[in-house]
Amino acid sequence: MHARNALPAVLALVAAWTPIVSAQSPAPPPNPAAGGGQVILWEKTVPKIASGAWRGPVLADGQPDVQGHWSNTIANHNNWTDPQAGAPGEPTAAAKLPRDQRAPSRVTDPADGEIPYLPAARAKQQDFAKNFTNPSKPGYIEPLARCAPAGVPKSFIWHGYEIRQYPGYVLFLFNSGTRIVRLDGKPHLPDNIKLWNADSRGHWEGNTLVVDVRNNNAKALFGRSGDFASDNVVIEERFIFDPDGKRYNYVAKFTDPTVYSRPWTATIPARRYTEADKDDGWHYEGVPANRPGKPLLHERMERICVENNGPFGGGAVGVPLDGPIISR
Amino acid sequence: MWYGMLTRAIRNVIVAGLIGLVSAGPALAQTPPAIPRLASGKPDFSGIWQTLSEADYDLEPHSGRSDAPPSVGVVDLGTLPYLPKALPQKQRNFAARLKDDPRLKCWTLGVPRSVYYPAPFQIFQRDRDLTLVHQLGHQVRTIHTNDTLHPVEQDQGFWLGDSRGRWEGDTLVVDVTDFNDETWLDRSGNYHSDKLHVVERWSFVDKDTISYKATVEDPKVFARPWTVSILLNRRRDKDFQLVEDYCATLVYDQYYPHTESK
Repeated sequence: MHARNALPAVLALVAAWTPIVSAQSPAPPPNPAAGGGQVILWEKTVPKIASGAWRGPVLADGQPDVQGHWSNTIANHNNWTDPQAGAPGEPTAAAKLPRDQRAPSRVTDPADGEIPYLPAARAKQQDFAKNFTNPSKPGYIEPLARCAPAGVPKSFIWHGYEIRQYPGYVLFLFNSGTRIVRLDGKPHLPDNIKLWNADSRGHWEGNTLVVDVRNNNAKALFGRSGDFASDNVVIEERFIFDPDGKRYNYVAKFTDPTVYSRPWTATIPARRYTEADKDDGWHYEGVPANRPGKPLLHERMERICVENNGPFGGGAVGVPLDGPIISR
Repeated sequence: MWYGMLTRAIRNVIVAGLIGLVSAGPALAQTPPAIPRLASGKPDFSGIWQTLSEADYDLEPHSGRSDAPPSVGVVDLGTLPYLPKALPQKQRNFAARLKDDPRLKCWTLGVPRSVYYPAPFQIFQRDRDLTLVHQLGHQVRTIHTNDTLHPVEQDQGFWLGDSRGRWEGDTLVVDVTDFNDETWLDRSGNYHSDKLHVVERWSFVDKDTISYKATVEDPKVFARPWTVSILLNRRRDKDFQLVEDYCATLVYDQYYPHTESK
């Protein structure tokens, strides 16, 4: 497979695959379409991981060493608050089961699992969801279908990703987009600069990476259900790593008085992937490095999307870009 | 007009730098300048870099024109050694450059163009690899420095190639292969085929300047290998940082979030 064609193929695969797996929930069978043939498992529960001291390996600059490949354990971006129920208008078989037989809402505060939208904002989210399967206007196309960066927080529920660390930095290499978290304590960008991946200033507290996220253009949405913030949103992220470095929980507090009636908190569980795991075409797409006679080592391949954007996902169409966009 | 003045200033800097280089040449061999190093002792290229050169406008010598400041060129052979059969495509590209240059769609620029495109990129370096995050678009390249080989599977047609680096003293030598033929080499339509093979040589001139040389061979397009040489300058502006520039999104970003909804 040509690398330049790889992403649309995977996207098509996921679009076709998501309902299949969900239809078999709660015990998905092996997915024949997945690259490595390994079962892609969506868990139904979220482990508890407490903030505290870090006792694992540390880097030369003192950061906990959490480098490597990670992916969320619950579901993709089909549905923010009912993650395993499918995208709007595309319910999974599991959606018919009692709610407690699917993974819980990613909203962990308030306790009802709902984003506390102001009425006008709720209407916008519902309007998007209603039109998702038949997007009659450009704004009803989920932005990932256009190869937009998945942004904050959607990047954490869209394919696996790699964390690389350096003195003063934590780097996230996502399937769609790259995010640089700066640990230098310097102030955020000027308020009028708004970015798909926002501006991230972080520090470590024991086993927890705490990141203050501002300058978010909020255009990425949270997924196919149309949940969203505005570009006023402030997100306090806490990446809480378990003691053996095999899992972490992403716990993020969203504050945005223009969209929400009160701050709310999201939780996204994630697990580490290593050479012990096989390429499953979604969570983990590591490719064996060519080094004869040495132990297996997986590498990340380049990610290309907009250059060969094709149709995928729900009713969303591909949006090829043929003409000039910039004049600089 | 402004770019003419800017260019003159830049050229003066470069010329001064080159004179300094030449005159310092013998001394360099005896007392190497202090350069950043990893704990392993290897040169540490971490930082934000950008060329002052006009390479991206046109690799070859050219007078100033409406879309390019003048330059004496940055290629060792002067002009590029196109095969006769390959030259007409370059001429067609040049004629259509204001609409056909892939950069205008914010597409991945390839190698070596991504290095001398006039926007900053940040190098993150570990013993095992260097990660190049380019401000323009979504380009991220990993240069592996862990004694791994090019993939067994060939013809994967990467946009940025497959990069395997090794150290020759304090010079990082990177072999880059397995490209597609979709990228250009500059804004003037210089191009390559999917047989492109690039060997890069990265070395410090001083702690804030990298000498970057890329030897390009492509038997379907060029009669012989040629080498582009430019300098990369550390961006030392106060509090300088990359600001993401996913400009491919500019054609539709006005639709989000929910700006069309009631």
